[in-house]
Amino acid sequence: MEIYRIQGLSFAFPGQEKKALSSINLTISSGEFVTVIGKSGSGKSTLLRQLKPVLAPHGTRSGFIEYNGKPLGEVGHRTQAAEIGFVLQHPDNSIVTDKVWHELAFGLESLGLNVGTIRLRVAEMASFFGIQTWFHRSVTELSGGQKQLLALASVMAMHPSVLILDEPTSQLDPIAAADFLATVGKINRELGTTVIMTEHRLEEVLPLSDRLVVMDDGCIIADDTPQISGRKLHELGHPMYASMPAPMRIYTSVETGAIFSQQLPLTVKEGRQWLLNHFSNGAVEPAMEIEEDLVAADRPIAIEFRDVWFKYEKTGPDIIKDLSIRVPKGEFHCIVGGNGTGKSTALSLLAGIVRPYRGKVLLEGRQPSSMKTSDLFRKFLGVLPQNPQALFVKKTVELDLYDILSDSGLSHEQQKLKVQDVTVFAELEPLLAKHPYDLSGGEQQRAALAKVLLLEPSILILDEPTKGLDGFFKEKLGLFLQKLNAQGVTILMVSHDVEFCAKYGEVCSMFFDGAVVSSGSAESFFSGNSFYTTSANRMARHLWRDAVTVEGVVQRCLNSRKM
Amino acid sequence: MLKQPENVSRRRLGKRTLTAALLILIVIPATILMGVFFLDDRKYYFISLLLLLYTFIPFAIVFEGRKPQARELVVIAVLTAIAVAGRSAFFMLPQFKPVLAIVIVAGVSFGAEAGFLVGAATALVSNFFFGQGPWTPWQMFGFGIIGFLAGALFRKGWLKRSKWSLCLFGGAAAIVIYGSIMNVSSVLMVTPQLNLQALTAAFASGFWFDFVHAVATVFFLFILARPMLEKLDRIKEKYGLLEP
Amino acid sequence: MRRDSFAGFHPFVNLAYFALVIGCSMAFMHPLSLAISLIGALSYSVVLNGRKAILFNLIYMLPLLLVLAAFNPLFNHAGATILFYLPNGNHVTKESIVYGVAAACMYVTVIIWFSCFNKVMTSDKLIYLFGKVMPALSLILSMTLRFVPRYRHQLSVISQAQRCIGRDVTQGNFIQKARGGLRMVSILTTWAFENAIETADSMKARGYGLPKRTSFSIYRFDRRDIIVLAILTALAAVVLAGAAWGSNSIRFFPSIAVKGYSPFGAAVYGAYFIVCLLPVMLQLMEEVKWRFIESKA
Repeated sequence: MEIYRIQGLSFAFPGQEKKALSSINLTISSGEFVTVIGKSGSGKSTLLRQLKPVLAPHGTRSGFIEYNGKPLGEVGHRTQAAEIGFVLQHPDNSIVTDKVWHELAFGLESLGLNVGTIRLRVAEMASFFGIQTWFHRSVTELSGGQKQLLALASVMAMHPSVLILDEPTSQLDPIAAADFLATVGKINRELGTTVIMTEHRLEEVLPLSDRLVVMDDGCIIADDTPQISGRKLHELGHPMYASMPAPMRIYTSVETGAIFSQQLPLTVKEGRQWLLNHFSNGAVEPAMEIEEDLVAADRPIAIEFRDVWFKYEKTGPDIIKDLSIRVPKGEFHCIVGGNGTGKSTALSLLAGIVRPYRGKVLLEGRQPSSMKTSDLFRKFLGVLPQNPQALFVKKTVELDLYDILSDSGLSHEQQKLKVQDVTVFAELEPLLAKHPYDLSGGEQQRAALAKVLLLEPSILILDEPTKGLDGFFKEKLGLFLQKLNAQGVTILMVSHDVEFCAKYGEVCSMFFDGAVVSSGSAESFFSGNSFYTTSANRMARHLWRDAVTVEGVVQRCLNSRKM
Repeated sequence: MLKQPENVSRRRLGKRTLTAALLILIVIPATILMGVFFLDDRKYYFISLLLLLYTFIPFAIVFEGRKPQARELVVIAVLTAIAVAGRSAFFMLPQFKPVLAIVIVAGVSFGAEAGFLVGAATALVSNFFFGQGPWTPWQMFGFGIIGFLAGALFRKGWLKRSKWSLCLFGGAAAIVIYGSIMNVSSVLMVTPQLNLQALTAAFASGFWFDFVHAVATVFFLFILARPMLEKLDRIKEKYGLLEP
Repeated sequence: MRRDSFAGFHPFVNLAYFALVIGCSMAFMHPLSLAISLIGALSYSVVLNGRKAILFNLIYMLPLLLVLAAFNPLFNHAGATILFYLPNGNHVTKESIVYGVAAACMYVTVIIWFSCFNKVMTSDKLIYLFGKVMPALSLILSMTLRFVPRYRHQLSVISQAQRCIGRDVTQGNFIQKARGGLRMVSILTTWAFENAIETADSMKARGYGLPKRTSFSIYRFDRRDIIVLAILTALAAVVLAGAAWGSNSIRFFPSIAVKGYSPFGAAVYGAYFIVCLLPVMLQLMEEVKWRFIESKA
């Protein structure tokens, strides 16, 4: 049965000529798992919001949407609230009340159910989602993943027949994201709830999806099973193809011709089997030893941790334990590792916000915690915080850029020149007159980066810069960082994003339990790991251990074909 | 949103307001009489506390009766939370807090009712963190009434959005309204009746505190008022939040 | 936190109890009433907070009591028995001293009761009770309590981020610090509102605004709540009847006068004593029971 039938749907925001959605035709059957992808600004969020009238933005709309065979506008408010569940992007924003149990009951209270029914449903949901152990807690005490799970559970408590999720994992770390997506899969599989979601993490979602809808510029350009949609994107030569799972991209780059009519591999498992069948003669290179100290002695050191120990409280546990890293000048260094391993604390040590109780933190030989703020952060150390919104002060991007120069003592002309330079560098020209909060996540990131760059740092520190960015903006950010790096800026980046580090990083280190456990050039580093590595490497490591990126694997496939 | 027929909701509101008015007309005199005859007219503190609580009732009834939308609730909760958390932004400056300035800005920007609710809720919620006590209703009333006045006077056109107008109001409100309320409450707590001497003493001992409060409020309004009002305007415009 | 037996009762019972004892403590100025209430408040605060309560009462409450007791005779010159004259020519009366001590006792007692109140009436209990009568306002409170810790965290994030672009808001002279603080509040305001719009969306998405909203709670009103509430009502009736007949009233001015002994008066004080010590007794009963269970095990 069809749950949604959308026909000829067009939509434009007030005062805008350009349509955010144009002639969308889409039919979704009950029980389907539909994933919608597209660049940011392609209209995918706008489309999802049209499916839930209370969330639909104002604007001019034409065409129609049917829900369960009835025009959506005629479906009663109560039915809509209960049957169409909507999970928003930021779990922190979507949670309304201060206690977990109250949040779970919130929607049921709105529906006017009696206390007995609510008690039963809340109990059911808490058990289904494994919430019972933190049922009485304050929301503040939860981790990001728990918060998003709570947001999902509080929607599921209303027993929706369709669940709509708008980039639900963009704020989560990879492990929490995988857990969350697995739960969504379980809901679809075990409860038969229809799922419609937008998502960047295609490697995890596509295996769960029945259909992949690709949007570009307000239109649907592909709508079929993930394999066929993927193939279509490939045939179109569409830039969105770059965000498809690595196995699929490797496959299509290698296989051209007859075999192409076969199913494309979606998962590492499928990709691995395909490689085994076709390239098993490719020689496995001997396992490499982990290189000990890579740092060439002649390069001056920009960042150094020398046997650093740190804890927040005298009686508390050690957060940083005997940490030693040396980053030479001009290196692009990535630190990867799980949550709570002390990565962020290491950054606080670098910024001089906290001091070690043993050992030394040195930036070009100087201790940051004993430097004056103005000396430290002017023309020396730049820090891009995890949440760029914490930097914005003014009402337009341009004013914000000038704000940072306000006490630099430069003349107005000089300021103007500098702002112009950085605007060109960060491609901010069309955004200068906008309010910083009206920018998309990727644009905000760039505006914040421009702000930091105006201080002309020679060392740049980034904390999770790819969080919430889609593939397109990630690539852009990666290229910016490489450009900066080429200009001689030392970059130290902390990230969960293994793929990003492998592609753009020069040297990578693995952080665990307060210290670095392994370190090496990006290739040797990831080929030395077995789990904590890129999916291209996981797919191909049994053949070519040192093939880390998609390009690397493709290259080796083609080489072995030639042999 | 749910569209109820206009006249129905208005009639209901009228009925509720009437009940509120009746309640106040009967209950307030009854309480005073009870104080005079029943408690020997010596329990000013107790009686005044009850009277104070009654002043919250009409606001509550009107607000609840109006069935406020989600966005209205969010605005009031956000403003309140900013006022409460704003105290921690000034951890390095004890006694120098922007709470009253934020309440005044809320009243001017979102109207008298929102001003009252933000003021009263700020006092109540900050006492969840710092401890409730007999002072809670007084503080709620003090902040609430200043937020209310800011909104009402602005609507009347007596209070302008200009810096000086707001600073003048803020300084006066801090000393005359908030200061008086808190000083009177402390006198009532320890002396059997209000006499001039005790009041003067309370005002004299509280003067330094009130003065710092007023200076802080004026200072914060001077710097904060314009950008804050601009920010709130943007919010109102961007998300279609008109004055409730 | 120590687990308290009385705190485990239904929030309505908790609130009714505190309204009764705090109201009575403010209204009854007879020394015996004051003493009973002070004993009740002190012992309950020790049950709730242990050693910390003793320290709190000694360090803060005792000096406060002395200061307040001195305040009244200095400014209140009513009363018939003049003891001596102040240098400024005003006289000090016995009545005003006695009243001062009584009022100070009353104030301190009320504060101690409130310290117990703060421990027992957690914010979710109050929000639940508010929600019964004022659902929208109670939801505002709940949301505010959710936002405040979040905003505090965000303030520290902002402060660090600003520091990292060379704007240290915690340093400099007074004006610079104040400006820095304002800058943080200003950034916080934009951030808070922009993010809160999604919160409103989330409320609407889950049907907020539909007519006939109910309110759910994890509290149940069970039999022991009924029993305790009944006992409390009966005792309160006796105490309030006593108050109405004036059997525990006291007159301070112009001269001190109290009612003499009567059986009814004794019953009123007895009832008041039980009321004030009710939570402590409940706690003792529970502890005795546990000892018994443990000894059997």
